[in-house]
Amino acid sequence: MPGKTDLLQGTLDLLILKVVAQGPLHGYGIAQKILLTSKEMLQVQQGSLYPALHRLQRKGLLKSEWKESGNGPMAKLYSLTAAGRKQLQEELAQWQRYTGAIALVLES
Amino acid sequence: MRFPWNRAEAEMEREIDHHLQQLVLEYERQGYKHEEAVLMAKREFGGREQVKERCREERRWAWVRGLRQDVIFGARIMRKAPVVTLAAVISLALGIGASTAIVSLMDVVLWRDLPVPSPKQLVFVKWQPSGQFPREIVDGSAGSMGPEDGENVADFFSYTSFRALRQSVSKRARLAAFTGFTNPVSVSYAGRPTVAQERGVSGNFFSTLELKPELGRFFTESEDAYGAPATVVVSHRFWVRALGEDPAVIGTSIRINNRLYVIAGVLRRDFYGLAPGDASEIYTPLHQTAFMLDGHGGELPLDNDRFWCVSILARLAPGVSAAQLQPALGTVFPSTWSRRPKDLSKAPRIRLDEGARGLGFLRREFRNPLMVLGGLVALLLAIACTNIANLLLARATARQKEIAMRVSLGCSRSRLMRQFLTESALLAAVGGTASIAVAYLTANLLGQFLADRDGFPIAVALDWHIVIIVGATSAGALLLFGLFPAWRGATLPSAAWLKEGGGSMRTAARRKWTTGRVLVLIQMAMSVVLVLSAVVFTRNLIGIESADPGFDRRNLILFDIRPGTSGYDRSRLEQFYFNLSEQLSATPGVVQAGVAWMRPMNVGGWWGSVRFGHQKEIPGVSMNSVSPGYLPLYSPRLIAGRNFTWRDVTSDAKVAVISEDLARKLGGLGVLGRALAFTDGPPGQKPPEFEIIGISPAIAATSMKDRPFTVWVPLSKDTKEATVIVRTSQPPQIALPAIRSTMRNLDRNLPMVDVTTMAEQISKTLQRERMFATLCDGFGILALVLSVVGLYGVMAYNTSRRQSEIGVRLALGAMPRDVLVMVLLEGLRLAIGGVLIGLPLVWLGAKYVEKELFHMKPLEPGSVSSALFILLASALVAVIIPAIRASALRPSDTLRQE
Repeated sequence: MPGKTDLLQGTLDLLILKVVAQGPLHGYGIAQKILLTSKEMLQVQQGSLYPALHRLQRKGLLKSEWKESGNGPMAKLYSLTAAGRKQLQEELAQWQRYTGAIALVLES
Repeated sequence: MRFPWNRAEAEMEREIDHHLQQLVLEYERQGYKHEEAVLMAKREFGGREQVKERCREERRWAWVRGLRQDVIFGARIMRKAPVVTLAAVISLALGIGASTAIVSLMDVVLWRDLPVPSPKQLVFVKWQPSGQFPREIVDGSAGSMGPEDGENVADFFSYTSFRALRQSVSKRARLAAFTGFTNPVSVSYAGRPTVAQERGVSGNFFSTLELKPELGRFFTESEDAYGAPATVVVSHRFWVRALGEDPAVIGTSIRINNRLYVIAGVLRRDFYGLAPGDASEIYTPLHQTAFMLDGHGGELPLDNDRFWCVSILARLAPGVSAAQLQPALGTVFPSTWSRRPKDLSKAPRIRLDEGARGLGFLRREFRNPLMVLGGLVALLLAIACTNIANLLLARATARQKEIAMRVSLGCSRSRLMRQFLTESALLAAVGGTASIAVAYLTANLLGQFLADRDGFPIAVALDWHIVIIVGATSAGALLLFGLFPAWRGATLPSAAWLKEGGGSMRTAARRKWTTGRVLVLIQMAMSVVLVLSAVVFTRNLIGIESADPGFDRRNLILFDIRPGTSGYDRSRLEQFYFNLSEQLSATPGVVQAGVAWMRPMNVGGWWGSVRFGHQKEIPGVSMNSVSPGYLPLYSPRLIAGRNFTWRDVTSDAKVAVISEDLARKLGGLGVLGRALAFTDGPPGQKPPEFEIIGISPAIAATSMKDRPFTVWVPLSKDTKEATVIVRTSQPPQIALPAIRSTMRNLDRNLPMVDVTTMAEQISKTLQRERMFATLCDGFGILALVLSVVGLYGVMAYNTSRRQSEIGVRLALGAMPRDVLVMVLLEGLRLAIGGVLIGLPLVWLGAKYVEKELFHMKPLEPGSVSSALFILLASALVAVIIPAIRASALRPSDTLRQE
């Protein structure tokens, strides 16, 4: 698909945290939401999504539970832990500093 | 089994299913039919197994789960190839085990410190003459002297010197004296007689060593004096073997050489003496030592400044170095002589040797042999490791299809490497465990080989540090060897492999073949060294053992008796020896019985110098005083002259029988009736002269290795201890009971000590040669087996790889015989190549081995050719099976496989 960009190394975790912060979501929902919010610019590969979810869970940033999702079957819903919320704040701040700095250089 | 990951596994399945369902729903919403939607969802999701595998790696406990899988899988792989596994485990166990044992032995003999507190503070005080050893001192001395590190060094002092030296440095060091030799004494406790080695020590000896007793106490200074109550300290070993491990022995009496001593204390078990293999079991104060009291011409040796018989040990005070102590001792030393040297610049110098590791007699004797053995065992270990590398490499190649399969199913490279490493580690663990058993057995065997001449084995306890060090080194090496095939396996292009199906192997396989070939070449080269060593040392042993000693060594029995320390005084001894000879000769089964002062074939003995007329003095002559029955034991008649008679013994006749080679050297038969001067007497006195009355055939008197000139004189009437030699008409075991009963009838209280046959006595003197031969044979056989396995493996692999090529050759008209020869030549070329690489190695090592050989060069054509024959014959065995298999191939079969 034209116009789609590969994710920057390390940004997938940030995106997941941000998306999940808005409410519990399952894996498919997370991928969809990133795709929709980015106006179909960012497509998350399933091959990276699930390992990333497992990784964030192991680090204690995400928790999961099996619940009925909106349209029927049981799904594994991910949500942020307190540590995840804190991590998200830090990473967002860092991201803004980073992009701000890049912008300063590029627009000079 | 319920493990956390089992639940996680199920959840992951459901999660992925859910994701796929959502995708399907999405596609259905877009208007696709259900089947189409399912297909498109799957395509979009991608490799389900890969995703799962990557998720697994992200999960908690992933490594435990992975390890468990690796171990289970590794064990399954090992079970599936039992021969390969067994070969690897055995190589490893033998290689590591033998190395551990040899290193342990080296540690005990060469490196380990004495089991005393702060051993580094100990030094041995010795002296060095400026030129030759001064004769007036050496003649009346007891101790050891000779070249150490190329310089003449003596370790004995007069007691006066010891006291003066001790006084002069009392603030900077504590000096203690001991007899540098041990002496056999007859001991009797609670009516049970035995024999033990006694060492005399100064009163402060144990306190200088800072030892603690197991039981009782050690000596006080006041006990070390003439006339003081006699006390004794015994070793733990003696306490166990002779005193029944009874704590109540402290304070009781024990009889040593017929004098009563009170047992003051027992040493701790870990104190083995002043060196590993120290035979001393009984310690007495210097002034109470049997050797000092038993009389030396009526004089007490400690009072005699011309009699030098104590060695000195010093413990430096903290902060004092040996170099600081040396000048003070050096100044005092010459002033303590009975006759001071006129020119002090020519006076002997004091020398301080580090004493942490104890007396150095074993170190000096066994350094070179142990280094040679260490080198050989290192080669063996290297061969074993090469073999394992080759086995792992071959297995990795054989498993390439499996690996390709795993990679395509999502197994990451790092995970693959880990799998290989786990398998190596598994192998190392099993082999390493087995190696401890091998090391334990070998170490015990080595301890027996190195047994002291008096029969005490050196305890080669396996030190856990060494086991761990050797084990860790080998495990490291093995992991390295395991890593190489793992890396190779993990970096292969997987898709290509699956496509080719492993049927016709191309580039990767050819590279492996080269590596395997190089490994086999190295193995062969190292085997040359080991096999040649085995051949050389075996020939050495056989050469010495089968040499003609000049007499029939069968049916000879030897044993020691010590009448002089069991209550016989001078007046009764002569009659005793006469009765003994008469009654033994009359015993059924006995052909001849003789008595000698020095035990024959015992390496050491009585050495002297003789001078005949105005000829040059001949040093290093082996002497012995013997009964009239002695010489006929060896040869029925003399070459010329007559044998001794009992009248010679009774009258202290100054007569001598000399060996034929000495007679020839002195001038032939004409020497009969002329005088031979013994030039070893005290200086200033006229040397005693002996009339030569007979010439005997030359025999090996002291060992199979040296044939010194020999002089025999009549048995002295006051010989306190002697060896009885009996020639029997029947095998010794059959004749021995009658001999024992004769001895019992003669004197019930006189023990027969060290009863052996002459054959045993000879083999005892060849222990070192036997140790070398046995160990090198073992190493050589192991090396051969390992290299044959290695060569076979490479050849078998190579021919199977070339099956199709050989099939084509056969189809195009090659005869099976041509194929046979082709494969044979290829294998033999490899073997010969290895031998050619190995020969320079042998040449390099030869000079270390030469010192251990007797009348033999390390690189004799005979040895080299037999070693090469053995190697090439073994190589042929290794190559012939793959060669026959290749020549028996049917072209139709191999071509169909393609």
